[in-house]
Amino acid sequence: MADPIISLIQILIFPGLIFLFILGLIFEWIDRKVFARFQNRIGPLYTGPRGFLQPLADFIKLLTKEDVTPRYVDKFLFNLLPGIAPVLPVFASFYLPLNGYPILHPFEGDLILIITLMTIYTIIVFMAGWVSTNRFSSIGAARAILQFLGFEIPMFISLASVAIDSASLSITYIADHQPIPYILLQPLGFIIFLIALQAELERVPFDIPEAESEIVAGWLTEYSGPKLAFFRLSNNLMLVFGAGLTTAIFLGGGSGPILPPIIWYLIKMVFVVILSTILRTVFARLRIDQVLSGAWRYLIPLAILQLILAKFLAVLVM
Amino acid sequence: MTTISREEFILKELKLAFNDKILESRIAAPRYIYVTVNKETVIPLVKFLKENFGLRHIVTITGTDFGEYIELIYHLAIYGRTLMVNVKTKVPKDDPEIESIVKLLPGATLYEREVHDLLGVVFTGHPNLERLILPDDWPEGVYPLRKDWKMEGT
Amino acid sequence: MSTYKIPVGPQHPAIKEAFQFNFELDGEIIVNVKPRLGFVHRGIEKGMELRSWVQGIYLSERICGICNVPHTTCYCIAVEKLHDVDVPKRAQYLRIIINELNRIHSHLLWLGVLGMELGFLTFYMYVWRDRERVMDLVELISGNRVTPSMNFIGGVVYDITPKMEMAIKKGMDYLEERTKYYKSVVLNEPTIKVRTENIGVLNKSAATDLCAVGPVARASDLKTDVRFDDPYSSYDEIPFNLVTYSYCDVFARVLVRVDEVLESINIIRECLDKLPSGPIMKKLKRTPPPGESTVRVEAPRGELMYYVKSDGKENPYRVKIRTPTLANIPAVCEMLKGYHIADIPAIIASIDPCYCCTERILFIDKARNKRWIWSHSQLRKYSLEWYENGGRR
Repeated sequence: MADPIISLIQILIFPGLIFLFILGLIFEWIDRKVFARFQNRIGPLYTGPRGFLQPLADFIKLLTKEDVTPRYVDKFLFNLLPGIAPVLPVFASFYLPLNGYPILHPFEGDLILIITLMTIYTIIVFMAGWVSTNRFSSIGAARAILQFLGFEIPMFISLASVAIDSASLSITYIADHQPIPYILLQPLGFIIFLIALQAELERVPFDIPEAESEIVAGWLTEYSGPKLAFFRLSNNLMLVFGAGLTTAIFLGGGSGPILPPIIWYLIKMVFVVILSTILRTVFARLRIDQVLSGAWRYLIPLAILQLILAKFLAVLVM
Repeated sequence: MTTISREEFILKELKLAFNDKILESRIAAPRYIYVTVNKETVIPLVKFLKENFGLRHIVTITGTDFGEYIELIYHLAIYGRTLMVNVKTKVPKDDPEIESIVKLLPGATLYEREVHDLLGVVFTGHPNLERLILPDDWPEGVYPLRKDWKMEGT
Repeated sequence: MSTYKIPVGPQHPAIKEAFQFNFELDGEIIVNVKPRLGFVHRGIEKGMELRSWVQGIYLSERICGICNVPHTTCYCIAVEKLHDVDVPKRAQYLRIIINELNRIHSHLLWLGVLGMELGFLTFYMYVWRDRERVMDLVELISGNRVTPSMNFIGGVVYDITPKMEMAIKKGMDYLEERTKYYKSVVLNEPTIKVRTENIGVLNKSAATDLCAVGPVARASDLKTDVRFDDPYSSYDEIPFNLVTYSYCDVFARVLVRVDEVLESINIIRECLDKLPSGPIMKKLKRTPPPGESTVRVEAPRGELMYYVKSDGKENPYRVKIRTPTLANIPAVCEMLKGYHIADIPAIIASIDPCYCCTERILFIDKARNKRWIWSHSQLRKYSLEWYENGGRR
């Protein structure tokens, strides 16, 4: 086992907490900038070079705002949940082989662990909306759970088909054993995963739980100031984690010629973020029933088809 | 054979059906007719126009305060909304009551509520004559569009 | 299952202006709707009675920020009718041009808002960028981007020079191309289609009975347009098509408005080609003779009516304004029943609501049966005391 000091540095600085935090802010900037350019706007501009520091400025600004706790909410959970929310994507990211090797020791089955963490994240979103006792929040929370019912299953099936093909449930093992990246071997699975990830991240066309023009801010309505800052941070970290997971599972992790693995990993993550932003740009928001019927009618059968194909592929490779 | 315009034709028909109940009538401009009747005649007149001239559209109801009485004008559009018949009637200001036309023209709901709010005309038989425009804490019996209501500072 | 109530408005991201719909919901399905108006009443009808005839033009222009031109057109025509004069032909054509520019601007604005209500921000940004072009043209003619102050009793204030004519024609070519592109986006983009097709259906007989007007009525296959039914300001000399669709849903309302933009572009071109020479203004007396007149005008949102009564004095005796949004409120309440919460923004937006048009009549604070006007500092003092007492009465 490595030196405890090196472990501590890994956890706290690189590629741990601070690195992930900075990455979250950078990805938000990339997302906002690309989104704006696609819409014929400029996007963040003044804070830092090309508005690079805008997400950080927003985060600090929110931290300094008044911390409001409404009178009729469940005060304990209302104050606790914003603190828990960012922990989950960070913890899950510790199992991603960002620097060629994850921070926490990988084991056979860590894929199942992080799937569990993602599910818990959805439940936290639901609880955050529910304890707000606001009508808009309640609707948003109910929608978050409904959306979860539609998208977790195809997402897991598409992960399972990769796991079957590579005969492993360890993310690091899957990332390291991809002579041909799974994006080429299982393009259908990749598309399904990307769509489901878009829903998991609550981005257009699946931003239904926080649909601004319908239910104000959905489950986030009552949160303001530092609490909102932490939810936004956790959303950014989810983006980092989602892009990281996609990279590990479908794009072969940090493998690539010449450059060190961390650089390759980051390049691939940025690619995933930009793909997700493009999806966000070109669609209108769907309705919750349309999303659910779409997920169950098309995504799940397609995911199962991919699973069967993966099984054949595995047999062929054998 | 002399052809008569649509406006003249309608006035002729109205006079035939209601004869002396039409107190006053004139063609103000092409496509605009003004008819003055008693307040009891409004309902039969609207019914007559609905049955014979395909009246389905009411543009609005105008209420004007004339001191001792309030004049109501029903702006009705017939012939596929191409011709306007403006039916005028008077209600006394101390007892401003008139029968509602909502049963005949459902589109008049909000217009009657608006006139009720601002001029205090009571439309009997209206399904829901509650506040529409004025705020909830506006005092009862104060009607801002009446001439005796003066705005402060003017 | 019991229903629960959810208020939308007076402050809500979907509704930019102060207006309230009280929804009764069963899960995500709307059971009943109750509208409540009056949050931004400004007392314009009363205000008209206190102002002179000329001041009335500018007050009517401020009824609505977006569709201000039809308001002044309607008011001016009504007063001209009292004078019993016709304005010069050139002025009539210029009025058509400025009205149609206003319609293009209003419809494009609406198209962008719809994109935003559907969560389609990209569409919104693009449409609003092209809307700038119309506002530039309005600025070129009048010097103002939104409120041109073009109409006056007896004619129009600004003339269109040949140089402007060229610029307008160029702008129309650009807008035609862009609008056709947006139409193809609306027709081909699946997420817009699933959110608008078969949503907010208002069939033809309901539209007739509830007195729906404007694009809402035309999307329900009702052939009604004041420009046709009751031509004013030489509209009968310009050939154009009456756009109707028979789908009766939000999608049809989108298409009606997009097609109307194309029609308006053609009308403007036609007007520029036919533009007669001559004066643009006829001098009239300051006060019209006693009388009354009713005028209807097709605003971007539908039929707009002014009733003006004069008693021969300095001020109008009575000015009654009926704006199209008020006429469409019974229709929108009917449309909403049976649909999802998620459809609320699209359906409400589909009538192109303009509440500042609808609401015109409230002014000073009149709590506790007393009338008074507060200065800013008094209001501030009152609010501080209010919160010191725990915010209760």
